[in-house]
Amino acid sequence: MTAMLIDNGNITKFLDSVARDRLLVAPVREEDNVVMFRHVTGGEPVCLDYLNASVSPREMFFPATEKMFAFSTADGGLQPAEPAKGKRVLFGARPCDVKAILSIDPVFSGDFPDPLYLDKREKTTIVALACTNPSHRCFCATFGVDPAGAEGADLLLTQLESCYLAEAITPKGNDLLEAYRQFFSTASGGHAAEKNRLAGAAAQKVNKLDTGGIKELLDENFELPYWEELALKCLNCGICTYICPTCHCFNIMDFTRGGTGGVRCRTWDSCMFMNFTRMAGGHNPRPTRKERLRNRFMHKLKYHLDRYNLPGCVGCGRCAGACPANIDIRQIIKELREVAQNGR
Amino acid sequence: MIAIEAELKKAAADLLSSGEAQMVLGFGPGSEATRTTPVFITGAGDTEKLVFNPFCVNNLVKYLIDLKDYPGKIAICVKGCDSRAVNRLLQDKQVDRNKVFILGLPCPGLLDPEKAEAVIDPSARLLTAEMEKDGVKITTDRGNYSLPAGFFMDKCRRCAGRNPVVYDRLVGQPLRENETGDDFADVKNIEELPPEEKNAYWDRQFSRCLRCYACRNVCPACSCRECVFDRAEPGWVARASNLSNNTAFHLVRAFHVAGRCVDCGECQRVCPVHIPVGILNRKILMDIKQMYDEPTPGISPDRTPVLGGFHTGDPDEFM
Amino acid sequence: MGGNCACAAGNPLMPHTATITSVTEETGDVKTFQMVFDDPAVMENFRQKPGQVAQISVFGMGESTISITSSPTRKGFLEFSVKRVGRLTTVLHNLEPGCKVGVRGPYGNHFPYEIMKGRDLLFVGGGIGLAPLRSLIDFVLAEENRDDYGKVEIVYGARSLDDLCFKNGLMKRWPNIKNTSVYTTIDREDPAWQGHVGFVPAYLEEIAPGADNKYAITCGPPIMIKFVLSALEKLGFPDHRVITTLEMKMKCGIGKCGRCNIGSKFVCLDGPVFSLNQLKELPPEF
Repeated sequence: MTAMLIDNGNITKFLDSVARDRLLVAPVREEDNVVMFRHVTGGEPVCLDYLNASVSPREMFFPATEKMFAFSTADGGLQPAEPAKGKRVLFGARPCDVKAILSIDPVFSGDFPDPLYLDKREKTTIVALACTNPSHRCFCATFGVDPAGAEGADLLLTQLESCYLAEAITPKGNDLLEAYRQFFSTASGGHAAEKNRLAGAAAQKVNKLDTGGIKELLDENFELPYWEELALKCLNCGICTYICPTCHCFNIMDFTRGGTGGVRCRTWDSCMFMNFTRMAGGHNPRPTRKERLRNRFMHKLKYHLDRYNLPGCVGCGRCAGACPANIDIRQIIKELREVAQNGR
Repeated sequence: MIAIEAELKKAAADLLSSGEAQMVLGFGPGSEATRTTPVFITGAGDTEKLVFNPFCVNNLVKYLIDLKDYPGKIAICVKGCDSRAVNRLLQDKQVDRNKVFILGLPCPGLLDPEKAEAVIDPSARLLTAEMEKDGVKITTDRGNYSLPAGFFMDKCRRCAGRNPVVYDRLVGQPLRENETGDDFADVKNIEELPPEEKNAYWDRQFSRCLRCYACRNVCPACSCRECVFDRAEPGWVARASNLSNNTAFHLVRAFHVAGRCVDCGECQRVCPVHIPVGILNRKILMDIKQMYDEPTPGISPDRTPVLGGFHTGDPDEFM
Repeated sequence: MGGNCACAAGNPLMPHTATITSVTEETGDVKTFQMVFDDPAVMENFRQKPGQVAQISVFGMGESTISITSSPTRKGFLEFSVKRVGRLTTVLHNLEPGCKVGVRGPYGNHFPYEIMKGRDLLFVGGGIGLAPLRSLIDFVLAEENRDDYGKVEIVYGARSLDDLCFKNGLMKRWPNIKNTSVYTTIDREDPAWQGHVGFVPAYLEEIAPGADNKYAITCGPPIMIKFVLSALEKLGFPDHRVITTLEMKMKCGIGKCGRCNIGSKFVCLDGPVFSLNQLKELPPEF
């Protein structure tokens, strides 16, 4: 596959051009301390000097609220949502978030393929942005993510001294390079060497936690006093689940405004919420914070592995930074390892 | 601040070993230098875990609602801002005064963890935190840092209540209150915008809302058994996250805590997408102060909340 | 699996429109709804197995997971026996024949009716718990299948006479089928009731059916299940021949929405039918 260069100055022109032909989603600095993946139509500044966005770009395939179909309450007539139109580009996703998409792909495929997700997935070219300077909170290497790697991406961008190296990973990525060739120039072996050096340094810098024994501990022990202690401080808000790149839980709801019509949507939901599992009769299999918190971390560290043989966490560090009570999955990993080794 | 840690640990240990309290709810070391985490200590030997430093951001009073049925007495660490929430919960009879022991911690101001983490080595252990003329000096085992006033949390820069308004024991010495007081500049800045700009500002903020409900869950004024936003029947505010529903959520939330919000700033601190939700509450607070000449709720244990009382002589009918 | 499911527009979360063709009032709070897909091809291709569930939509209100009560041997319609407990089931109870609903499914695994062949069957049900069992009861008692199975015993109880579901089956249809016995009980005395009075687990121990070459299939309120399971153990049923079906809150029904998991298993995909030995390997979170 091709590797090309794009000058810093050409990135904006390239993106403006992409935005004219395709639906482009890219990181945008919305406030001093907030970067969000947004639909950009050209002209707006796209943010490339960011550690990571506040919310993961899974939204592009699995929106927070998505219409599935419209219905008529009068005659039960149903009208499916319009399929995603045209080609799409997800630009500037970090390798952890790209890997996360691979982790949730099997949820939306399998025996009951989900056309809304898969259609957008199919139509989207993912341009990953290598992390050459991971933050102190990044621990993607723990779960086999290379901070400057391209797994799951179609095209990988790496920032070099004064330009970006663009490496096509898949035919889709190659097509994107070809289609906008005018913004790119040829790369040399020196550029590849520079990139490899940066990638090596990033891999050195990023944290790699030892998860040895945790899976086995959780396989054998559903009940651990540890969860009870941790749950005391959990506020049961949905932050960790909503900003997480691998969380995929949703609710299905009908919205009507009187009259005889309405839409059925799916909306993000959170296993942290009490109503998530509460049944109509009142019975709740996960009645307290302890069960709900345990479910989330078991999902990340065990259930997803059991089910799909894929990590339920990619080490993006978002939840560790955003939890109002400083419940930090890195610390949970360390403490569970202690429990595994010493018992407690 | 860290200077009073030893006294705090001793006070907590005494409370637990004498049996005066069965649990100490305080701050413990967090996962990074600029973080702390709530700790729930039941053994006198564990009080060594307690810390008090410029990153003790949580208002722990919220946990008193969760621990309402705790069989023993809880000793809770409160800063000046947090203490107003204790008074509010006492007024609402959410908390039994006989079941809490209040450890008051005079607080010279907190640092914004997000700003500080860019400077302070996250693996460092804090040793001292001394207020300087225009900032704070932090010493750690990994180096020393002088952080200018810009590193303080916004709410602390305008704080007019560093000393707890209610306590059973004050740890350390009372601090001199900030004389300039709260000028509500954050509210006025927005209020002064032309309507279209104001609208655009809030639209941009609300459209980011994830509806994670952290602002509600952290709020000590939110004590409903079942929140209106969780009710399926009737569904007052649709769960779908879009600008109009999100706007409804934020406005209803702000109005619901009107007159009860103690301005602890927790809602704004926890927002994962940094929506300045506190400004909505503070707009209402500012109006209450101006129109009714009422102090911030929770300042005094026996003042009726401004929307919780009535006079037969009120010029307008109730509804 | 997916290919056999009734869903519209290729979206497994989009139901097909169906019409309620009849409503039978079973008890004060249980009704049986017979539904027929509006598209005859969808009806023809809907192939449920006993024990599977479907998602019923009341458009504008939402969806609910309901076990399919009717046996696949009875073609051309589906039946769902629904207890009025929550928001959606309350609205459903107000619907009449002719009303439009949505149905998608069938979902989940099914009662292991293949490996039950040649065996005796003991059904133990309580209250609305008879609804999922009925799909299997009617399946094995259907003329074309009856000879594949041995003796069939049905032990069923409800709080009161009025709470007995499927009275026609219990009192008339099933007892008249060869090699089939029905034992019915109610919790409290009632002047209009001449039958047995007492709780299901105790009645079960009283009847003391043998465990040899027999499968026990049970469904009912959690407290009943708990005591029935211990009664079955006393009667000598090995765990792998005790079958139950679980109820969990579900939204998607197809393993995506994440709420019906018990450990790593999704009740909507890996259940709702579990044998007792499978159940014992799951974390106690149901």
